[in-house]
Formats: sequence, C-alpha cells, structure tokens
Amino acid sequence: MATAVNSIKLLAGNSHPELAEKISQRLGIKLSKIGVYQYSNQETSVTIAESVRDEDVYIIQTGCGENEINDFLMELLIMIHACKTASARRITAVIPNFPYARQDKKDKSRAPITAKLIANLLQTAGCHHVITMDLHASQIQGFFRIPVDNLYAEPSVLRYIKENIGTENAILVSPDAGGAKRVASIADKLDLNFALIHKERQKANEVSKMVLVGDVQDKTCILIDDMADTCGTLVKAADTLLDNGAKEVISIVTHGIFSGAAPERLANSRLSKIVCSNTVPVTIENDRLDQIDVSPTLAEAIRRLHNGESISYLFTNAPA
Amino acid sequence: MRKCKVFVGNSHPELGQLICAKLGVEPAPCTLKKFSNGETSVQIGVSVRDEDVYVIQSGSGDINDHIMELLILVSACRGGSAKKITAVIPQFPYSKQSKMKKHRGAITARMLANLLIMAGADHIISMDLHASQMQGFFSKPVDNLYGAPSLAKWIRENVDDYKNAVVVSKNPGGTKRVTALADSLKINFAMIHTDRRRTADVLAQKKKEAKQRRQSAVRRRSSNKRSDTLDEDEVENIILSNGLQTARIVKGHVVDDDYIAEAVVEEDDESEDGEIPHDQTSYALGGTYDADDSDADDEPAALSQEKLITLVGNVKERSVIILDDMIDRPGSFIAAAEHCRLNCGAKKVYVVATHGLFIDDCLQELNNSQYIDQVVVTNTYPLTEEKKTCPKLVTIDIAPILAECIRRDHYGESISVLFDSLSTL
Repeated sequence: MATAVNSIKLLAGNSHPELAEKISQRLGIKLSKIGVYQYSNQETSVTIAESVRDEDVYIIQTGCGENEINDFLMELLIMIHACKTASARRITAVIPNFPYARQDKKDKSRAPITAKLIANLLQTAGCHHVITMDLHASQIQGFFRIPVDNLYAEPSVLRYIKENIGTENAILVSPDAGGAKRVASIADKLDLNFALIHKERQKANEVSKMVLVGDVQDKTCILIDDMADTCGTLVKAADTLLDNGAKEVISIVTHGIFSGAAPERLANSRLSKIVCSNTVPVTIENDRLDQIDVSPTLAEAIRRLHNGESISYLFTNAPA
Repeated sequence: MRKCKVFVGNSHPELGQLICAKLGVEPAPCTLKKFSNGETSVQIGVSVRDEDVYVIQSGSGDINDHIMELLILVSACRGGSAKKITAVIPQFPYSKQSKMKKHRGAITARMLANLLIMAGADHIISMDLHASQMQGFFSKPVDNLYGAPSLAKWIRENVDDYKNAVVVSKNPGGTKRVTALADSLKINFAMIHTDRRRTADVLAQKKKEAKQRRQSAVRRRSSNKRSDTLDEDEVENIILSNGLQTARIVKGHVVDDDYIAEAVVEEDDESEDGEIPHDQTSYALGGTYDADDSDADDEPAALSQEKLITLVGNVKERSVIILDDMIDRPGSFIAAAEHCRLNCGAKKVYVVATHGLFIDDCLQELNNSQYIDQVVVTNTYPLTEEKKTCPKLVTIDIAPILAECIRRDHYGESISVLFDSLSTL
C-alpha cells in the first residue's frame, strides 16, 4: 500500500492578508479558501471550504490591531479548533508577532502572566506547533508544551544594514539594558561597536530619565529593538543620542506596532529613518518609514518544517 | 461572606453590581483596561490567596474582548493562589456554535469551555445554556440555572387570564423548553413549524385536504344532528380540531394565500463573504436534521425565501406566549406572532425569552410589530440605555437567583432548589 501523500494547506486569518499573500507566493501554494467573519452579535465564525483531513495545516495570523487584537486572537483559536475538528494531521500556527508577549512575568502582585495564558489557549485549541519571530523574551518558548520555532529577524536586519546603511562610522545602540544582548550579537557580526542607553522606567509605556553608556560622537547610530509600540523610548533615545553628538539616528525594530501616540511622536521625532519588518501591517504614514520583508524567512521555515528539514539555517541566514 | 471575593468584568457591570448588592459584598477591586496596542490588561487590587473567587462576566457586544478579559482575570486569580475560581457567565457566549453545522465548522462553544477550564476555572455557573448538552463540554462542574421560574412568575402576575394562555414554541427545537414552562404554569402549549423546503404547492394540497376533511365532517355532522346549516364558528372549530394551520411567509411576513411572490431571487445578498454561501443543504454527510437546526435563522438570506408556517395547537381567543431561550433576531418571532394573530385568532402575543441579545435593530422591529404586545427578557445580557427605554420591553431581574447560587455554592449548600422553587426570590 502506498503511503498517503499528505499535502500542505495554508490558511490565513484577517490580521495581515498582505504577509500571508507574500508567503503563499513564495511557497507557490495558494491560500486555502476559508470564510472568517463576524456575526452581527460580534461572535467570530469560521468555515473552512476545503478538506483538511490528514493535511499539514499552517495558519498565518499575527498579533496586531488596536481594536481587533482580541478578535484576531479568537479568530486564530477558532480556526485552529475548526481544523482540529476537521481531522487535520498537524496544525501549525504561524504568529509573526506573538500577542501579549510583554505580559510574560508576574511583575506585580497578582499580575497575570498573559503570555502563558495565550500559550495555553493555543494548545487547548489544538495547535501542534508554533512558528513565531523575535519573541519579546525567548523564555516564552518554555510556556509551551509543544515545539516553538522562534525565528530571528536578525539575518534580514544584517542584510538591510549592509545594503542600505553601510557599516562605516556606524554604531549600534540598544535603547534599554534588556536589549543589549540582541544588539551585541548584531554588533559582533558586523564588527561594530555598540552603546547602551539606560532608562529609568516609572510606568509602563512611559519613559523618564535616560543615561547613555558609550561614545556616539559624530557617528551614525542604529537603534535596535524587538518592538516599537508607543515609540516613547525610541524617540527619547534618539533625542539622547543626538544631544550627545550623534550625526544621525536610524531605528530598526522587528515589530512595528506603532499604537497610541506613535504616529505623532514619530512625525515629530528627529529620527532620520524608521525601519521595521512586515510582521505587523503598518498602519501609519511616514515618509521616513522603511520596511524589511521577512516573508521569505517565514515561508522557508514553513517549507522546512513541512519537509522535516532543519530550521537552524534560518537563524543565521536570510533567504533572499 | 468570609474568604470570598467577587470580581465584576466589564461586560455587564450593572448585573454584577446587583449581584454584589444582593450578596451584601463590595465588588473586589480590580483594574480592567486596554494598553494602547489593544492588549487587555488586568490588575487585581486585593489579595485572593486561599479565597473563594467568583468572576462575573456575561456575553456582550464586544464579545471577544470580554472573553479575553474573563480568561485573563481567571488566570490572574489562579496565579494569585486563589483556592477556587468560579466563572459566572449568565449568558454563555458562542453557545449557538455548539455543534458542527457545516463541513469543517468549529465547535466554538466547546473550545471556549476548554479555554475556561485551562485558564483555571474550577466551576462554571451559567443560565439557560442554548443546549443543555453543553454542560458535557466542561471537565469541571457546571450549574446551568433556569430563567423559566422568573419568567413564569412574571406571566402569573402580569398576563390577564394566564390560565387560558398558550405557550408557543416558534420552532420544534424549543418544544421541550416550552412544555416545561407550560407544565409549571399548568397551561396548554402549541408549536410552530417553519418549513422552507416545501412550496406553495404543498400548501394548496393541504388546503384541499383540509377542505375535503371539512366537507366530510360537515356531512357527518349534518346527518347526525339533522341541522341544515353550520355557522362559521363551527366550521372553524372543525379545522382547529385538526390542529394544523398553515400560512405562507414571504420576506418574513405572513401573506394571504393568493399573494403572488414577486421573483425573490436576491439570495445571499446579505451574507458577509461572497465565496462561502451558508446554504442549508449541507447535511449531505448524513448529518442529522436535528430540531436545534431551527437556529439556522442565523442566516439573514433565509428571510428572503418563501416559507410555510404551520401552527400545531389551538390559540384561538387566547393569549399567546412565544418562548425561546434567546432573542437575537426578530424575523421568526414576528412571523410567528403574525401567524398567531392573523390566521389563528390569538388575542395577545407576548414574546418571552431568557437572554435578550437584540442584535442590531431587532428590538426596534419587535417593538414596531403591531402583533406583538410585549417583549419580556431577563437581564443576563447588557442592554444599551436606548434599548431599555423601548416601550414594549420588560426586563426581569435575575440577579437574586445568581446571587443565591453564589451564596449557596460558597457555603456548600445544595443548589437544586434553585432549579424550580425559588422563583419567589
């Protein structure tokens, strides 16, 4: 008896159709037909129009949207559950930007570890595997009992720096102590120096005092972080750098969420360039904004996972 | 109540306040808000260590946000070392998605049950679950309270001559619910069946049969009683004794027999996505056409089709109480009310349900229907101020039942008494 040929199915939620389309084109696989819509009582409803029985299913849904983040999350959970009840062989959630990733610790009494909750929700819904990118803390991988592939945008960022900024007279800067490791790793690969800004945080999403560690005099500063949300840190860090004699400041972030006051802050900021990847759909308009396409990395991860090949190549190389 | 904390979610703060007032406790302090990126944030302002925690959150218009809020709250209490966490969900969201309706449809209600248990809920209190089988979705105990006793109390007190009223189910799936209420009020019940597969031909056929029956009956009677003439009423009675009254519905309204439908082929014009038509013929896989499928009136497109409405039972010169577990869309209620009043001689029509969801203009349409006298719901689901002022709407407060359930649960007393006799609360 010949073994059944299990094919692959690509499903996309409503959060980021553009990215899904790019991944689908890259893989040469059409997105499966599904109906995801809301009843007028706001309940989410999912219908999968193609058979997924014994298929390898990949569901692409990112965490984004100021008013819709929970809707997209429920959408993802219901899609996973629908595939599970429809006898899919393996269900992989591709979540480029993991929602609630910053609520990953009990930083106050009785604070919820929501990232853990989300991990459990995904597993409860029936997810077998998760692909994500630049988790806010890699410990979140440990919240899952299922395998999690945390991809890095770093190779794409390296390429972007080499091709678009150049390494001459540049210095990498981490806007906070927590990101120093990430920046140091990039600095190593580019053979550049790096500096660090220490901030004293009093409240979430609010930054007070900033102290620069390192010399940035007359240099092109590249600020690197995993995400930019309200951009308070980013803008203040840029100011601190310029006040300390930097020539120009370019910021590169993986997840450009840009919520709340971010659009105005960025518009009024002294950043000469704002670069983010397309893990999250960009909603703001700014002529200094530039995007790095990470869909090749995600597509390649899906391809390798489906074929049972090693993913580790992607940790150091970005497919063109 | 010692060692007990009651948290009130954002979905229905009013009901939460009422329950807390009834229990004589203050809602436990907690901050529920959203970060600027849309993520829900929960902060619990009081220790819950080794406490008995109740979290009150109902369904609402911002359903997914409030579900996440509930899950995060429960999980925060779990993380804060609460002894026992009970989720009080008067109207269970996604309860209509409790079975695989179409190919590869998700059983979202079951998933939600799993999510709640996973988040750390030890016990669920809900009211009038859309299908009581949903209790089986949970691996933890579920108390499914009934709204019917409160509704029965209202009927006893407010419906004139309620002893002669008839409880009517607007679809066969709800008959059980209807008979239960009819039994507790010791009154009659009837049932309405709406059939979209049969056409006017069937109606004509039926009329013919009915006529024949009537004639034969008349013949029988006249020979027996020697009376030459029969007045209208008697003829009417004979038809009624057959127990079937059928009429046509076009676009959600009852029409005359000779009404000719203008080509109504604007199908699926309202379905949100073009590519997936939710047709009702998708039972090809041998799925049972079970009674509950009457909630296929989820589909707005279904309204445009011509259907056949049949009443089984007698409502002539009586008040009609149309009962269901929830009112979300008005169509079937209005059609049923029209049929009862126009064709079956009902005196008054009350529309009664536990959960008043009133999606979009639902309440307005019910209010505008001249054949509906009153709309009665409980306060399990939050209503906007605008809806509350609707002249035909009556809201019954069920907070005492939920409060009593919480109290009894906390003290480890039996809850079964709440299932029937506590309507006096």
